[in-house]
Amino acid sequence: MNYFQLFGLDHQFDLDTTKLADVYQSLQKSAHPDRFANASSQDQLLAVQKSSMINDAYQTLKNPITRANYTLTLRGTEMPNEQASFGDTSFLMHQMELREMLSEIKDSNDIESAISSASQTLAIEYDNLFKVMQTQINENTPESNLLACENLRKLKFYQKLNIELERLEDSLLDD
Amino acid sequence: MALLQIAEPGQSSVPHDHNLAAGIDLGTTNSLVAAVKSGLAETLQDEQGVDILPSVVSYQKDAILVGNAAKAFSVNDPENTIVSVKRLIGRSLSDIRSKYPSLPYDFCGGENHPEINTRSGAINPVQASAEILKTLAARAEKVLGGELKGVVITVPAHFDDAQRQSTKDAAKLANVNVLRLLNEPTAAAVAYGLDTKHEGKQQGVIAVYDLGGGTFDISVLRLNKGVFEVLATGGDAALGGDDFDVTLVDHLIEQANLKRPLSRTLERQLSQQACKAKEQLSQQNSTDITLSFENGDQWQGTLTKETFNSLIASLVNKTLRACKRTLKDAEVSTEDVLEVIMVGGSTRVPLVREEVEKYFKKIPLTSIDPDKVVAVGAAIQADILAGNKPDSDMLLLDVTPLSLGLETMGGLVEKVIPRNTTIPVAKAQEFTTFKDGQTAMAVHVLQGERELVEDCRSLARFELRGIPAMTAGAAHIRVTFKVDADGLLQVSAMEKSTGVESSIEVKPSFGLEEQQIASMLQASMSNAKQDIEARMVKEQQVEAARVIESVQSAIAADGSLLNTDELNTINAAINALTQVIESNQADDIESAIETLNESTAIFAERRMDSSIKTALAGHSVDEV
Repeated sequence: MNYFQLFGLDHQFDLDTTKLADVYQSLQKSAHPDRFANASSQDQLLAVQKSSMINDAYQTLKNPITRANYTLTLRGTEMPNEQASFGDTSFLMHQMELREMLSEIKDSNDIESAISSASQTLAIEYDNLFKVMQTQINENTPESNLLACENLRKLKFYQKLNIELERLEDSLLDD
Repeated sequence: MALLQIAEPGQSSVPHDHNLAAGIDLGTTNSLVAAVKSGLAETLQDEQGVDILPSVVSYQKDAILVGNAAKAFSVNDPENTIVSVKRLIGRSLSDIRSKYPSLPYDFCGGENHPEINTRSGAINPVQASAEILKTLAARAEKVLGGELKGVVITVPAHFDDAQRQSTKDAAKLANVNVLRLLNEPTAAAVAYGLDTKHEGKQQGVIAVYDLGGGTFDISVLRLNKGVFEVLATGGDAALGGDDFDVTLVDHLIEQANLKRPLSRTLERQLSQQACKAKEQLSQQNSTDITLSFENGDQWQGTLTKETFNSLIASLVNKTLRACKRTLKDAEVSTEDVLEVIMVGGSTRVPLVREEVEKYFKKIPLTSIDPDKVVAVGAAIQADILAGNKPDSDMLLLDVTPLSLGLETMGGLVEKVIPRNTTIPVAKAQEFTTFKDGQTAMAVHVLQGERELVEDCRSLARFELRGIPAMTAGAAHIRVTFKVDADGLLQVSAMEKSTGVESSIEVKPSFGLEEQQIASMLQASMSNAKQDIEARMVKEQQVEAARVIESVQSAIAADGSLLNTDELNTINAAINALTQVIESNQADDIESAIETLNESTAIFAERRMDSSIKTALAGHSVDEV
């Protein structure tokens, strides 16, 4: 049973996250270990397994990046290895520029506004790229799926930049 | 169309006897026990009518004292009187020494198993905590008039694996059955959540701001039709009201023109005065402070609320930064937060309330006593887990407070389960060998947010041996992390091509080994051998009764999922177990339970799947 089936959802990328959350809570109400606090050890163990699976499924489907990854894997699209070399040099050049933008924040006069403007830049570029990938996933041809994989990989670069920005924020604004 | 009713799996459709259960708030400074009595959760009092039990254990010549009786010895007999043991539990010796350099104890034992030398011998923090639990459990049994079926014990949300495991070990040592370890802010949310209906809106995001004596927790939850889903939790393990006192002491030293080092008596006098002044400034705008020196001189000064506020402003600000980070983790803004709940004695400080109100832009809830709210919430959860409310809709979905990961090449940490992941959770990650012909792999389990191994908490190390010699990078080693509903971690590793496996309950690094617990238990019983045996028989009998009841009610509810043969096999196994249950042979009962479990394994799986399907179907009906 795949995660979409577990949640009684059609196997498609775009989904109603409110409904997803509602179904998630109903499923947990029937499988969570707290419902088996009085049951035999065997039932308790089973509840932990089922409940873990439901949690994993929910996390995977809730987050658009992991959902994209999961959808493409289900379709049998070959995921490029994380370490594989990256063909798009102009994208890489741009990533270096963005990194530079982050490293310059600490020298800025107004650190807080520098952080918020960097965060905005990242968000806009991420959203644009995400929309492209979304269209490609929904098109669902072997070619579009491959292109979507490529963009998914690019989106992960943005995720890393965002984590870096958060770290920067913590270290610059804390004491 | 009317919907058919289906009983909850594992719960019988016949009404239960009332099971006695309690919630225990095992606090740093004070502990409490609460229970649901005729539908109302309330704290339970001792014979003197007092509900707060100071978390102090004193080892005197002829007795182990707990609470106020022990507290009386804390000044005159500090070496044998353990105060705030919660700060020590699950920690290493160097950890304790660097965090609390001036503790008056004589530490012994190893780096990972620190003990305190007392006149009753070496005492482990787990043993001292067990004394507090024993006292509270005994009080509950006395007030409620019967044996406790189980308890819910609360722990700070940011407690790491070793601290949680040690707390559970303490319960084991105290002979208390733990239904669940519950995070303190989540318990507080439960206490309020079932109490306030927000004008009929039982939905929305709530924040719990929990500032105790030594710790700060912030949790953000989403409430929806009885489900408390923790979205994120954060805080600071070393920030609390005690730090307000410390800052104030420094200020007084400066004002009185004193120079450190000062005598122990003067230091104690200063911190007592600081604490008193802090409490008075919650009510009034200024307070007088008098210090008496050994030479008979006195110093008098006045402290205004304004000065106090400016002294603690940066500390309060630090808690707000943690709030900001946690809201971000939860992906909500302050506008989304419907209510803010205040927990912990330090939230009585007016500046704390003002700043929290300013930050969240709403008046924080304080209607339930911030010192008791955690115990009350734990009691409500205990009542449900003990099976007294089969119709309850309430469900708590909590998270891991800290990321869990493994050491990889170069002293880096690879996160396997990120912080704020809903538990229970199981996650696997694949690793490979670094050198040609490598046949063993060291697995080092870590907890924390930092990238470098040295900055994270080391939880356990184990080795996977017998990997077939292959070229570097050819072996596929799958490491699985499982965190249960108590937030406890289990790690296993397996080489995929050969199936060589190694697993560990993450424990030996810090907590006690199973054997140590057994021998401590043995030592604490007068008639050791017989007592232990009797206890083992009793445990098996309880489990046997539980299994039989649960199978029978499952058959009553979902018997249609079984064919005649399967049903006969199960019934035969039930009969076999019924026959040995009174035999007083723990091993026989255990193996009969095992046989019954085996005969119902497929049935259990089918029931679970069918109940999940029912949940899903009920849902589609709702949606239409």
